[in-house]
Amino acid sequence: MSDLFAFNGAEGAGYAQPEPISDEFAIPDKLRRSTLPRWPRASEPEIVRHYTWLSTRSHGIDSGFYPLGSCTMKHNPRVNERIVQMPGMNDLHALAPASHLQGMMAIFHEMQEMLAHCAGMDTVTLQPVAGAQGEFTAMRCIQEYHREIGQANRDKVIVPDSAHGTNPASAAMCGYEIIEIPSLENGRLDLDALRAVVGDDTAAMMITNPSTLGIFEPEIAEAAEIVHEAGGQMYYDGANFNAILGKTNPGMMGFDAVHYNLHKTFSQPHGGGGPGAGPIGVKAHLSDYLPAPLVVAEEDEEGEVWFDWYDPPKSIGKVQQWHGNSGATVRAWAFYRRYGRDLEKMSEHAVLNANYLRHRIMNPSKEVRDAIHAMPVDGAPTDVVKHEFTLSMTPVKDATGVTGKDVAKRLLDYGYMAPTLYFPMIVPECLMLEPTETESKEAIDQFADDFLNILTEDPEIVKTAPHDTPVKRVDEVWAARNLVLRHPMDD
Amino acid sequence: MVDQLPNLGREAEMLAAMGMDSIDDLFTDIPEHVRRVDPLDLPSPQTEEEILREARMLLGTNVSVDSRPSFLGAGLYSNYVPTMVAMLATRGEFLTAYTPYQPEVSQGILQAMWEFQTMVSELVGLPVSNVSMYDASTAAAEALTCAVRVHDRKAAQKSTVYVSELVPPHRMSVIENYTQGAEIAIKILPHDEDGMLDLTAAAAAEGACAVYVEQPNALGLLDPGLCELKSMIGENTALVVGVQPVSLGLVSPPGDYGADIVVGEGQPFGIGPTAGGPIYGLFACSQAYIRQMPGRIVGLSRDSDGERAFTLTLSTREQHIRRHRATSNICSNETLIALMGAMHMALLGPEGLEKLAQRNAGACATTKAALLAIDGIEMVHPNGVHFNEFAIRLPRPSVDLLTFLDEECEITGGFDLSQWWPERENELLVCATDQIDAEDIEELAEGIRDWLEASK
Repeated sequence: MSDLFAFNGAEGAGYAQPEPISDEFAIPDKLRRSTLPRWPRASEPEIVRHYTWLSTRSHGIDSGFYPLGSCTMKHNPRVNERIVQMPGMNDLHALAPASHLQGMMAIFHEMQEMLAHCAGMDTVTLQPVAGAQGEFTAMRCIQEYHREIGQANRDKVIVPDSAHGTNPASAAMCGYEIIEIPSLENGRLDLDALRAVVGDDTAAMMITNPSTLGIFEPEIAEAAEIVHEAGGQMYYDGANFNAILGKTNPGMMGFDAVHYNLHKTFSQPHGGGGPGAGPIGVKAHLSDYLPAPLVVAEEDEEGEVWFDWYDPPKSIGKVQQWHGNSGATVRAWAFYRRYGRDLEKMSEHAVLNANYLRHRIMNPSKEVRDAIHAMPVDGAPTDVVKHEFTLSMTPVKDATGVTGKDVAKRLLDYGYMAPTLYFPMIVPECLMLEPTETESKEAIDQFADDFLNILTEDPEIVKTAPHDTPVKRVDEVWAARNLVLRHPMDD
Repeated sequence: MVDQLPNLGREAEMLAAMGMDSIDDLFTDIPEHVRRVDPLDLPSPQTEEEILREARMLLGTNVSVDSRPSFLGAGLYSNYVPTMVAMLATRGEFLTAYTPYQPEVSQGILQAMWEFQTMVSELVGLPVSNVSMYDASTAAAEALTCAVRVHDRKAAQKSTVYVSELVPPHRMSVIENYTQGAEIAIKILPHDEDGMLDLTAAAAAEGACAVYVEQPNALGLLDPGLCELKSMIGENTALVVGVQPVSLGLVSPPGDYGADIVVGEGQPFGIGPTAGGPIYGLFACSQAYIRQMPGRIVGLSRDSDGERAFTLTLSTREQHIRRHRATSNICSNETLIALMGAMHMALLGPEGLEKLAQRNAGACATTKAALLAIDGIEMVHPNGVHFNEFAIRLPRPSVDLLTFLDEECEITGGFDLSQWWPERENELLVCATDQIDAEDIEELAEGIRDWLEASK
């Protein structure tokens, strides 16, 4: 147990600083700070031990299999970290003249082009710093577009009930009213339900494809036609883009705007919750509304390429005050260069691994099957899945009282991160699994075996899991009731 | 040849186990009319070595703030981040983890963020901090929407907030984008000729939902008048203050003069200016705003054995539970950068923070004195007290001076204020942080003298 605020060495600071170049400065009396913040007083070795200890109490992809559905927890190549720590990245100022940023702008430009190509879009901005912000940005562009063409009355956004929570939240932040449409019994998009709600007040439909069930919507082009006929726009949530690179693209499906999660598809490390990056791509009719600035390439007479900033004429302005998460853009650039046109292979292996894992879990040997109390069922019926799939643990719960959450917690004992739990909400007792392309066959086999083994275990062991983690099951209700949100510093 | 796929060459074996012949069998669910036929028009895969070489070449053409005297601030600040920070933050358990949804195996990141919340709380003088926002602009914007949710019911001026006219346009643009959906009216608070908030005009904000001001403001001015603001606007109007966090080593925490919400760019703690991202926004508030605040927050709890444990809490505010009724759409935040900030703060300690602020104030004061001594240079706010940066007035457009300094002296001279406010064509915002030494200042002064001389 290491407590940061227990460090209180007499001499304080963990690193010595040069002396101020002058003490001839003034702070107005009224604004003079009277007591310093009670930060720890620790030496560098103590701080190194503290954070190293904390790291041993965390679990990343580096630690083990991380099948967190919809989060695309793939391996993060380390050269990408080396690159963003090189001179000319970390020490760049966003407001420096373009002549100081030519190398970075070259990378930006290449990324704008590459992302547009992969999604079948015309123009890309790298400014949004997270998927949710990408959604928000695109919906703002659509909103301004409708205002511009005299259709400001379009104030409703349609989302399927299987959508990520950020979709309705982002649209609502723009001031849209949300219309949720139920999925069909088999988890697919219900075109009749869609037809019933579209109209001249439809601003857009937001949808991810493959869906959060990991299933490709077979009637996506028809859905786009219905929305377009009503005058609405189609928005593609790119959280599940990892499944389809080179196989299809949102442009072909009829989408007008997409966001990309660089921290999913393009391997920006998630960092325990961020940073992410959520660039968006749009079709030409929305390009003029994108946040400012974009990077454009100009060629002079000698063929020298010069990169410059460009403000779209009807821009919505800014959604982040600088150029987005440039470091994430650079990491994603290094990642995409590693694959090049073989990004298609990346998607193939993501889908191969997901189907293989699903097959291994759903088809246990007879011996194992006989030992299992009850098998989970598919979250939705399908022959093949894309990059992820869902399981309903309802039969297990009915047979033994063991819930999806219990199984998730028990997986932690085996050294795995738990799958996404209880999402999408349309699948009862849902576990959502996404192995990604960077897991080996052996790792997947082992996980499947361990998963099935849990279903054979004494239900009491599973219900009280985890047992072998740094702490036992955490009481979330206690936290919410007591709200101890900082160190109390009681001496 | 891609080196990132463990199952390359084993496709047939895995497919056979599933009773399939080819990879194409996995994509039969994509209808033909939306199926791509041409391969991606992208280059061949590259090796780590090749990518590194090209990255070095490209990034090497950039001109960084560390490679020459740089007086450019305007919201992003040159700093020194101790070596330990990046080394520890890139440990795989931190770097490659997702949001800590499973607290039992995420105690490290959760505790680190709870400690971060504590250090931010101590720094700004408010009891609650979240785990980070995207940047200062989104933190300010969401502080305003949060304040409207808290106060609108009782507000005499419904859905109305007041914002200082000195909030820079790029931050203002973010605020407008984030507030327009809730139909929030933004009214502008003027300043006097000394750059101090016009308190008489600010009285009009009483009965509104919030007031947003910055300390120091965008022109580097410390404004003691902001201490009067809370008593003027009253309990039912949120005072939101944007800060440069390093200044708080010397300057009163806004919580002490009545701020309800404090926001700011956390960047000077933890990471270089990094072209503006990833950085992190600070967001701290008083108890009354907790249930309407955006973002993740870590709380203390206990496990089933009664041992101390941490977990994400108050998630019922968030999008994955509340969907369109959530307080914000924020999901991914900037945790790793906030972690780097926490490490930096922990290494500094209280006295280290004070000294860092002194170094910044000392560098700023010395630069100011050196430039004031030049004939032809005027202070825009001669009576002002500045932190980090100050505006000077030149005889000719500041863009000319910046070009001269850049091309003739290899100095990044500051920020041309006409980029924010066109009428300030001859004004230059000069920033000196702890990374500026006496020699840099002398070079800048000499460069300005040469420019004045050359333009006579």
